[in-house]
Amino acid sequence: MALGDLVQYVVTGLLVGGVYALMSIGLALIFGVMRVVNFAQGDFMMLGMYVTYFLTTAYGIDPLLGAVLIVPPFFLVGVAVHRVLLARVTGGGDPQRLMDTQLILTLGLSLIITNGATMLLTPMPRGIKTSYATQAFVVGPILMNEARSYAFLMALLLAGVVYVFLTRTDLGKALRAAADEPEAAGYQGIDVRAMHGLAFGVGIALVAAAGGLLATYHPIEPTVAVNFIVLMFVAVVLGGLGSIPGAFAGGLVIGVVQSLTLLVLPFQLQNVGVFIAFLLVLYLRPQGLFGQRLRTV
Amino acid sequence: MKKAGIGLAMVMAALIAAPMLLTAVPSPAAEDLKIALVVPLSGRWARQGQLKKMGAEMAIAEVNAQGGIKSLGGAKIVLREADAGDSVEKAVSAAQRALTREKISAGIGSWLSSFTLGVTEVAERLEVPWFTLSYADSITDRGFKYTFQSSPVSSAQAEQALEQLVEIAKRNNQPIKKAAIIGDNTAATVFFFKPLREKLLKAKGIEIVVDEIWTPPLADATAIVQKLRSTQPDVVFYGATNFPDSIQVLQKVKEFGVKSPIQGVGAWLVTPEYVKAVGPELLDSIKAVVAAHPLKGQDELVKRFKERTGEPFMTQDPLMSYAHVWIIKEAAERAKSTDPKAIRDAVAKLDLTSGPAANALAPGRIRYDDHGRRIGAIPIIVQWQGGEPFTVAPTELATRKLVWQAGR
Repeated sequence: MALGDLVQYVVTGLLVGGVYALMSIGLALIFGVMRVVNFAQGDFMMLGMYVTYFLTTAYGIDPLLGAVLIVPPFFLVGVAVHRVLLARVTGGGDPQRLMDTQLILTLGLSLIITNGATMLLTPMPRGIKTSYATQAFVVGPILMNEARSYAFLMALLLAGVVYVFLTRTDLGKALRAAADEPEAAGYQGIDVRAMHGLAFGVGIALVAAAGGLLATYHPIEPTVAVNFIVLMFVAVVLGGLGSIPGAFAGGLVIGVVQSLTLLVLPFQLQNVGVFIAFLLVLYLRPQGLFGQRLRTV
Repeated sequence: MKKAGIGLAMVMAALIAAPMLLTAVPSPAAEDLKIALVVPLSGRWARQGQLKKMGAEMAIAEVNAQGGIKSLGGAKIVLREADAGDSVEKAVSAAQRALTREKISAGIGSWLSSFTLGVTEVAERLEVPWFTLSYADSITDRGFKYTFQSSPVSSAQAEQALEQLVEIAKRNNQPIKKAAIIGDNTAATVFFFKPLREKLLKAKGIEIVVDEIWTPPLADATAIVQKLRSTQPDVVFYGATNFPDSIQVLQKVKEFGVKSPIQGVGAWLVTPEYVKAVGPELLDSIKAVVAAHPLKGQDELVKRFKERTGEPFMTQDPLMSYAHVWIIKEAAERAKSTDPKAIRDAVAKLDLTSGPAANALAPGRIRYDDHGRRIGAIPIIVQWQGGEPFTVAPTELATRKLVWQAGR
């Protein structure tokens, strides 16, 4: 195995992982703040792909721009879904029962969105034809697909914006306070319920944007989410449940592991590599890459 | 209060009775012949199910417009569709429900070979004749009496397609020496690749330089296409039945400038959405082996289909279910009955050499052997030219002349 090939595999994996990373931080944010496992996350990604597609076909908007333009509307959708549905099953009450209700709610939401999309948009796969999907930047012997490179950079940018928002703004700090210590945050005058809505809105907007970026090179169909939802969950757990930088790193790791697996295992076992790495991390570092170890007194 | 209660009860009774009144109006002169169509209408293969439904509906409209089944006093055909979903379990339970709820005379489905294997077991048990376009050899290897497979089986397709391909390559002075096999591990693809890998290619003196199989979905096609680039095979046998996987591979083929001719195995590669997703240039000259495709002299049929559905062209899936409905109609004419067992026996004795069913499928004759395989079924080679797939082999049925690796 030449060094050039190895570098090529790592680069390809990182580019693929960039979009996984963006998908995953939305999920991590929602879990981190609300303790809700959102099974419908992948379906919002699918909706993001469709909206980007319609922006491109109807108005000629480049999907890379479209992926950013859909952030505000999807934020509002997220807030609305929280207000109408999730707010009823979060905050207060028996945690175990709440957990059950949340799982059923988000799973049901996922089924409704997938099947609703199949009915309204038809199961016909669609694709955005971009010139950059079939072109590559050539850096020495390394080929970097243009669409994936742009998607990677946009993912990095959006993740950076979220990170700055969470660590540098008052609202972001309030959000983290509501996540870490909901009760104490309430005493400080932070509206925890509003923070949940904010987290859900941002989480949905991020995964929709990831969908928009994915649409630059991946075909769109109502069931596209099933190919990614498991990877999102793995990324979030790998990075440490609820940790934003962790989920981002988790996404990148999955991309690279998927790519490098092909050096040693046949294609049929591509995702086996991911799950082996996942089990190894859970075994050696159960709290995930960036998670904090819970100490019991 | 009591009055209001009675009023409410009457309204409720009226509401419950209304649908019954609506459906009970004209009692049909002859008993309808019901065909079950069990195909994926949701999940990742829903598009194929939709295409199959279009073909069946078109044939039914034609049969009914021409006076229905004459030996049954003009009985009409009605379609009962059931969603096979995205798993074998769902397909089997859909078939079970469809076939036990009411009297069904015959069934069609379920596109994916893995689904068909399960669904035909239900049909066999309930003794309902079942028609399928699925390719896998095992479908008619089990000695079932009620299964009729109209496509050439995968292994036969591989053998005959390779024969045609080698011949074409020789004629174009580009003999095939190196071949690549890439595709997923779904049943039809597996059965197509197996004989190629085990004996057929070796017998022709062709070396296999790449042999990569994956489980859908494919995360990234870079590594596969890289291998094609470095080995430069003279032909790539290609079996990516999952649309997103296939698009990724084709995009990479363009990105990496791979020039090897691509030979797809299956009708999944010739659907209209490919043109929209990757554009006609990228598809140009790519070929696919399919079980059916519009042949020379079928312009009228294709035109009717396009006008009816708005689809840009007709492919194997609607064509096959169109033929299947007509075969069932002919069998019912001969059986003079809507009884599934009588229809099964009529199908077994059928030998159609004219009419819509015989004209739809090469070689223009419909007969089934003891296993339920259609006698004389041959694979058709289709090639993308200018954003539309045309039949290019066998030559006598072709609608266009084959172009050997043009423009790519």
